[in-house]
Amino acid sequence: MMLRVVGKRLLGAAAGGQASPALAPAARRGYHERVVDHYNNPRNVGTFDKDDPDVGTGLVGAPACGDVMKLQIRVDEGSGRVVDARFKTFGCGSAIASSSVASEWVKGKQMEEIVAIKNTEIAKHLSLPPVKLHCSMLAEDAIKAAVKDYEAKKVKLAKADE
Amino acid sequence: MASRKLLLGLTAGRRLRSRTRQLFSAANLLEATTSPSLPAAAATAQPSGGSPAALLFSPRTISSTRQAAQSAGDAPGPSTVDHKLIMPEDEFHKLADEIIHDLLGKLEEYGDSIQMDGFDIDYGNQVLTLRLGDLGTYVLNKQTPNRQIWLSSPVSGPSRFDWDAATNVWIYRRTGANLVQLLEKEIGELCGTPVELS
Repeated sequence: MMLRVVGKRLLGAAAGGQASPALAPAARRGYHERVVDHYNNPRNVGTFDKDDPDVGTGLVGAPACGDVMKLQIRVDEGSGRVVDARFKTFGCGSAIASSSVASEWVKGKQMEEIVAIKNTEIAKHLSLPPVKLHCSMLAEDAIKAAVKDYEAKKVKLAKADE
Repeated sequence: MASRKLLLGLTAGRRLRSRTRQLFSAANLLEATTSPSLPAAAATAQPSGGSPAALLFSPRTISSTRQAAQSAGDAPGPSTVDHKLIMPEDEFHKLADEIIHDLLGKLEEYGDSIQMDGFDIDYGNQVLTLRLGDLGTYVLNKQTPNRQIWLSSPVSGPSRFDWDAATNVWIYRRTGANLVQLLEKEIGELCGTPVELS
């Protein structure tokens, strides 16, 4: 319970202290309920040890833009399957929701499958408005960056063994 | 005898490499005429070897023409590039505002001429919003920290355009798309009537 509060506050602080989306004055311009859900109950917030050889870390975005996402995947070496994922995001509600969705969708999938996850699918799932499509793009980039990092690590480890 | 030849070969190689480096910085200086910040950037530029570290530390406009050959686009890592080196903020605003206002004017005329249901164009807080009824909504805005123009399209989704000093246009590096041409193509097809935006 305590951890969840801390998590929520971190995300709230990370979102630049923006007012909770549920307080939007007019319901017609509010966040989609899925976005609110992911914002209030984000899945898989946390960190893996980035030096762990089974972990791929994708870090995308720029603080100056107000959007930074870190997505980490834990891959089972034998099967090439993503067994677990964690994310941390600094950004708006849509960015947090997009990366939370991404962290859910990569679990249990092969790496070839997760690089095929498209920003359009994430945006559709969250009913993101046009101005927030960039958040879903960033989430797609984070997935690809995590895979790229994992594969680069494997190459480096393989070379070290030679 | 053989060893002397080998030595000469080595030094020749080194001379060639340093010549390419000189050519590289000469090319940077040519681009400098379009932006006052580039001479300073050129002085600190390192030859872009294509490695991630080089991409992170070399100013983007210098590597922009080279990046066309590489996969590139926005660098995936969080940006450690100092975007102030790409162009000064006031120059960015001048270039970006110019294109956005130009598009605004032309799209307004287009809207008047085609008389489409649900066509609405709005420019507020430096964000251009083009509604095409049920066909979708375009949003075009400046992303000043990145020196980019961001577009959200109902057809092609999100894209981010950088100023290409070599050709004086806004380019989405991932696809090579030209902002104006992309809008012309998509809007023309969506609305069924060609539009001239250049």
